[in-house]
Amino acid sequence: MLEARNLTFSYDGTTPVLDSLSLQVKRGEIVVITGPTGSGKSTLAKCLSGFIPRSVQGDFSGSVLIDDSDIAELHIAEVARQVSLVQQDPESQICTLQVSDEVAFGPENYGIEVDEISALVNSSLKSVDSEHLYHRPTFELSGGEKQRIIIASMTACKSDFLILDEPSSSLDPQGVLQLRQILRNLQDQSIGVIVIEHNLSAVKPVADKILTLTNGSIHPFSASEHKDSTQASTRTPDDSHSPLVTAKNLKFSYGNRTVIDNVTLGIESGEIVALMGGNGSGKTTLLGLLGGLLAPESGTISFKDSSLGRVNAKEIAHHIAMVFQNPNHQIFEKTVWNEQILTLKALELDTSDKLELSKASLERAGLTGLDERNPFSLSHGQKRRLNVSSIIVHGPEVLLLDEPFIGQDKEGRKFITEIVIKTVERGGAVLIVTHNPTFVRNQCDRIIFMESGSILLDGSPVQVFERLENIGYKEYASLEVQP
Amino acid sequence: MIGIIVYPSWRLSVVLLLIIFIGFFVARVPIRLTKGRTKFVIIFSVLLLLVQVLVTTNGVLLGFLIPQIGDFGPLFPITDFGIVRGLAIASRFLLLIFSSMLFVSVTDPTLLAHSLTRLRIPYKYSFSLVIALRFLPLFDLENHTVRMAQKSRGITPEVTGLGKIIRTIQYTFFPLLVSALSRVDSLSMSMDGRGFGYGTGRSYLRNSSWRVTDILVAFLTVCFLVICIFLATGYLPELAQFI
Repeated sequence: MLEARNLTFSYDGTTPVLDSLSLQVKRGEIVVITGPTGSGKSTLAKCLSGFIPRSVQGDFSGSVLIDDSDIAELHIAEVARQVSLVQQDPESQICTLQVSDEVAFGPENYGIEVDEISALVNSSLKSVDSEHLYHRPTFELSGGEKQRIIIASMTACKSDFLILDEPSSSLDPQGVLQLRQILRNLQDQSIGVIVIEHNLSAVKPVADKILTLTNGSIHPFSASEHKDSTQASTRTPDDSHSPLVTAKNLKFSYGNRTVIDNVTLGIESGEIVALMGGNGSGKTTLLGLLGGLLAPESGTISFKDSSLGRVNAKEIAHHIAMVFQNPNHQIFEKTVWNEQILTLKALELDTSDKLELSKASLERAGLTGLDERNPFSLSHGQKRRLNVSSIIVHGPEVLLLDEPFIGQDKEGRKFITEIVIKTVERGGAVLIVTHNPTFVRNQCDRIIFMESGSILLDGSPVQVFERLENIGYKEYASLEVQP
Repeated sequence: MIGIIVYPSWRLSVVLLLIIFIGFFVARVPIRLTKGRTKFVIIFSVLLLLVQVLVTTNGVLLGFLIPQIGDFGPLFPITDFGIVRGLAIASRFLLLIFSSMLFVSVTDPTLLAHSLTRLRIPYKYSFSLVIALRFLPLFDLENHTVRMAQKSRGITPEVTGLGKIIRTIQYTFFPLLVSALSRVDSLSMSMDGRGFGYGTGRSYLRNSSWRVTDILVAFLTVCFLVICIFLATGYLPELAQFI
């Protein structure tokens, strides 16, 4: 049994992130831990896997025990043979160039005999249903495949307990179904699994126990805490229907790989359009094209009546704003305030009324009082809210949002939903990449579903979800991948 | 590369470049360069050639880049030595690019790391090479995303004035640096969490082996180096006439 007794931890020595926390996980048990952004879930994962206090600085007290034996005196590599941690971003955890090397990496470090390593690699890949990836280069894998390989590389170390930090965050609905199966397989191998997850519905069906981490301590999960405040839209539909963005016969490739193939679409004012589809179906690239950030190989994109190819980048930025998947890629300034007003300055729109609007926007984003903080030091959820807040004050007509709800708690989701609704209420349009059917049903007017770089379906949420169920993509209509 | 540094002849560089291209053909490795990179390689080679032609004034005068027009000029003399030096440096640059491309394409980094470990280089160092190669495409992709993000915020690269240059650099390097540092944390935890550095040695699932072709290539390389040294020291005047 893996046990935490009276764990207390503080990064700065004053604010406790974990406060006398106690927890028990048995072998073969799947325990899901949920909780709001910044509640200390990842910190708990690092404590249980031994990285705190060994690699992370801070005030630590309490103990972690495996089968009643304290791990305090063990080397991190010895702890890792018993408790493995799969972190949130699979991309950053892969250190070799071939799948078999990656899975063999742990056993090789422990000096295990080659024959045994070979058997471990095969069995670990089998447990995550990825034997076919054995010879593949790691950089060619999709997000879901990378995550499965990382899980396999951890189980190859023969650990008894596995901690997964937000495993569903980079997965499409099919990936989530696979994740559930992997968790069941791990359970069958008597591995104790702790899943830290915002998106409870992704792992709820396989959980033996669900716990909530709030105010530094663990409580049994209560369904009322998780109730999503996103209610059905009450906005009045805009009947003006003037086309804002129009794309015709778009084609785009990265090298020899065609990513967007003959896409034609139109987005009208007053529309909230959900862009859905599996990982690698071309959603992000399509947003880049519609935002004028990528030039299509062939085809045309227009904003109102002007072709984007003939308009300069600043002029496009006046009208079309985009939020990317990774918040770190779109923060440029040293303080939250400078970051908030960066677009205004770049577009020479930093008038006193716009600066006042900026202050109000930061307040709505829950970032009041953080003006002088370095934006890179904010939490993932706060960074994402800053990203959204900093692109809307100049009033762009079109918002292109790439999975904005990932890593957001209830308040964050509410803020982003409000921004989306306000944009369409003033005659704009929003194209939003999301896998959250509840948000899509409640807020969106239309779904564009992509597959292999082309539009497979385009219609109202009811029609598209019905059609998806009929063509074997039931999970897109019924499964919540994001919170 | 050492040979060409010892005996910097443009003819020898061109011969080696041809051998490298034959290497690409034999190894069945397609030369994949994006449009932008092909443009960069060509422009940079031509620039190297031109700069050498312009700054080298000794040698036989062949003419002037700007001829005498009335009282003006002539400016920028072109000499045979300048052209030879320009060709030598430009061809060396091309040789460096294509030989590195061939090396990366045909070398399995994991096996290279194993070979280095067999040469008694601690595995922690040999693995840094594997990790560097693993993350290069990722940083390339992130650089692309950051530039897109800048464009979407209305930020355009500006080079008029030191302040603007610093800001342009800041806007690109800040996000990339932060992203890289956060990856370093994740990566080190991921590697520590799989026992990296646990013992002084480790086992390898895939081992490199020394083959007859390796002996042949090593022998030819040493021969080539010896010939270059002889050429440079004037021991092979007959051969030096041609290359």
